[in-house]
Parts: sequence; C-alpha cells; structure tokens
Amino acid sequence: MKRLFRTFATVALLAGSAALAHAQQITEIKIGTEGAYPPFNNLNAKGELEGFEIDYVNALCAKMKVKCTWVAQDWDGIIPALLTKKYDVIAAGMNATDERKKRVDFTTVYSRTPISFIAGKSVTSPDISPAALKGKNIGAQGSTIHANYLEKYYKDSNIKLYPTQEEANLDLKNGRLDYVIADKLALNDFVSGQGKDCCKFVADIKRDPAIHGPGVAMAVRKEDTALRDMLSKAIEESIKDGTHKKVADKWFTISILAD
Amino acid sequence: MEQLLLLLSWGDKGWGDELAAGAAITISLALATLPFGLAFGLVIALMHRANSKILRGIATIYTTIFRGLPELLTLYLVYFGLQIGIQKTWAAFGLPGRLDMPAFVAGMIALGLVLAAFSSEVWVGALNSISRGQREGAFALGLSKRQTFRFVILPQLFRVALPGLGNNWMVLLKETSLVSVIALPDLMFWTGRANVVTKEPFLFFGVACLIYLLFSVSSAAGLSALERRFSRGFAAGGRR
Repeated sequence: MKRLFRTFATVALLAGSAALAHAQQITEIKIGTEGAYPPFNNLNAKGELEGFEIDYVNALCAKMKVKCTWVAQDWDGIIPALLTKKYDVIAAGMNATDERKKRVDFTTVYSRTPISFIAGKSVTSPDISPAALKGKNIGAQGSTIHANYLEKYYKDSNIKLYPTQEEANLDLKNGRLDYVIADKLALNDFVSGQGKDCCKFVADIKRDPAIHGPGVAMAVRKEDTALRDMLSKAIEESIKDGTHKKVADKWFTISILAD
Repeated sequence: MEQLLLLLSWGDKGWGDELAAGAAITISLALATLPFGLAFGLVIALMHRANSKILRGIATIYTTIFRGLPELLTLYLVYFGLQIGIQKTWAAFGLPGRLDMPAFVAGMIALGLVLAAFSSEVWVGALNSISRGQREGAFALGLSKRQTFRFVILPQLFRVALPGLGNNWMVLLKETSLVSVIALPDLMFWTGRANVVTKEPFLFFGVACLIYLLFSVSSAAGLSALERRFSRGFAAGGRR
C-alpha cells in the first residue's frame, strides 16, 4: 500500500513538473485556419497553405523562436476544435467580437479592413440603408459578423446565409441575390475577377463596434493567458518594426490596418 | 480547354493530385466504416428481436436517436463531445499529456453509428423473412440457438439483406462528404478549396460529381455481382 502510494506520488510529481515546464516555455504552437479565404489564408494547387496570415504568423513564430504547425479546419467548428485542443491558436481572419469573447480570448488586432456591399450591375443607387434594401435578397457567409450585422439592421430584408463566401458570390452572380455583404478585400477579389461582368461595389458600411468588434485577431483558449500575451507582444512589435507592413504589402494593395 | 486541363493536372500547378488524395480519403473512410457499421447494425437487429424487454428497449432507443439526428450533428457529437469526454476521463485518472481522437476515427465512429441504425432495420427485415419452420427444424435437430444462427440463419441472411444494405452503402458513400467539418480533407473539402482559389466552380464540382458517380456505378456493379453469388442456390426454372 505504502509502495503504491509512493508510486502515485512520484507520477503526480512528474506530471506536475512537466506542466510547470510547459507554462514557462512555449516552444511549439499548433495553429488552426480555414484555408478558404484568400488572400488571408487558402490552400493552393500544391496542397499547401498560403496567404497573408500564413506568412505573417510564420514571421511572428520565427521572431518568437517557436515551432509553428498549421491545420486546415472548416469555418463551422473552428472554435469548438480550438476548445477541444485540436490546435492552440486560430488565425483565420476572425473578428474579435464580444459574442466570441464569451468562449475564447483574443490577441491584439492585426487587421481591420472596410466592410462593403456589392450588387448586380443593374443597381444604380449607392443607398444601402435598411429602408432602401427592404424586401431585397441579401447574402452573407453564416456565423460571421456580417451575418450578425444583417440580422440586427436589415430585419425587413430577405437574408440568406451561406457556408462559404464563395457560394454567396455565386448566387449574386446567377441572380438569386440582390446584394452581398462581406469584407471589402475578400469581395475585391470577386468583383475584379469572376464577378467582373455581373457585379460591382455599392458602398462601405459604417462599422458598429458592438457587432464588428475591434478587428481581426488571433483566438486562444481562455486559460492560455501566457500564449495570448506572447502573441499580442509579438504582434505589437511587428507593427512597430515594419514586419507587419512588409508582409501585408506582399498580399494587399490597400492598408489592412485602416481607421 | 488547355487551361482547364492544366488545372486538373498532377503536381504543383494542378489540383489533380489533391482531388485524388481527397477521393482516396472519401473511399477509404467509407470502406473502413462499412464492416463496423454493418456488424453493429446486426447486433442492434438481434437485440430488436430479443426476448428481453430491456434489450428491445435499448435497440429501439438507439435506432430512434441515430436515425433521427442529422448526420452532421452526430459528427459534431463524436468529434467534439466524445473528445471532451475522453479528455475529462484522462485527466480524472491523473494521466499526463492527452489522448487525441484522430479525425478519421471520429468520422468512422459517427458514420458507423448512423449506418448501424439504418442497416439494423434492413437486418430485422431479413431476419423476419426466414421462416419460423427453419428455427423449429434446427431445434428438432438438436442445434443450440447459437448454432442455429451460425449455420442456418446467417448464410441465408445476406441474400435477403443485400439489396437493402447496398442502399445503405450508397448513402454512406455520400455522407462522407460531411467530414470536412472535422478537418478531414476529403473529396468535397479539396473541391471547395480548389474552387475558392481558381474560381472555376463548374469544372471542380463537375469533376467531383463524376468521381462520386464513378464510385457509385462501380459499387452498383460490385453489388449485383455479390447478389448473383449469394443467390446461386436459388436460380432455377427459367430464372437465372
């Protein structure tokens, strides 16, 4: 009995010291991303992840001298997978909203881009007030701040939510939708490419801090405060020393840390 | 046209190898789920016909739940819910580190649970189709219940159940398209990702359609071959 107890005590001690060592020094981070949101993050024909967030976070990892590995996870389930420790950080163009803050913690903001409405070429009025869009079909990606924004202000419009931005864009193109709302950068890709002949920008919206939050940040589990602070510090330094701008200029034509 | 072919080519420029890898995950997940789902379904079917009220009750509750829940929800329950359960148990025993359930296993379990629920109804139907007289005959010959099942019932069961189970297989093949929500890069996952980057939805969704069709056509051929084999003792009198 005594011996059994001693064995247990040793095991507990070992486990305890291992946990302690882990808290002091973070050497490896697993990062979850969507891989379907160019130019922030997407998978390419090589089967590899690429995009602003991939380059940027890898640059941060190099500075922090930690080993970073990536996982591509569908947007629905991206937070549950963080909470069940499939990875430690989400870097997927995720806005740091109050709603999400109930479940995860966010680092310092590293991207804040305009949000816009696009529509078919037949739309001539730049008016995007809820009154003007009454009864119209508006599309957005589900479980996003854009969906929440529509649900709060555009109750009299016909709101349609899609699993990916791509599908909303496609439905605007084939006429099932009158408007689509999303991040301007993501939309720019569509309006200047596949949707060149059908669709155009209408106007940018005024940000609602209650819904849109402070901007895009990385999410971590609430208990991982050391990891959060380490990442926040690295982000702040990268904005100061120009690393952020250098990486951003590679992927974007406009500033992604606006207003 | 040449450009489209380039998009589907093998290697770093095209998505052919990614789509093939996705298709491999789709088919191997379906194949890995099949035996476990069917065997479990047979167990549920036997419980349905058991004398014990409790066993019958459990079987009814099981099929009600897993035929009723959307497959996506079952997938979430297994991948996230079960994972949390495993971690809590792991921590409760004071074990260091953590036990992780791979996405493939989670997908297998979730799809297997659903397949078991649906196939159990097919098994029940097949079991009912074997006449009572055969059991009585086996009893009269002095065979135990176990022996009766093993030597009399089971060999006939497949023949009757096969068309229904074939249906279950086809459904399973399509349900695998849900697994990308648990970070398993199957055919639909790669199709979606390729579409996002290349903006060629018709090409990639079209190719995905063809691959799924190829799977179902070849399994239909396999199934009719199996049906012929299991029916070989029954072909007679101008019916072949």
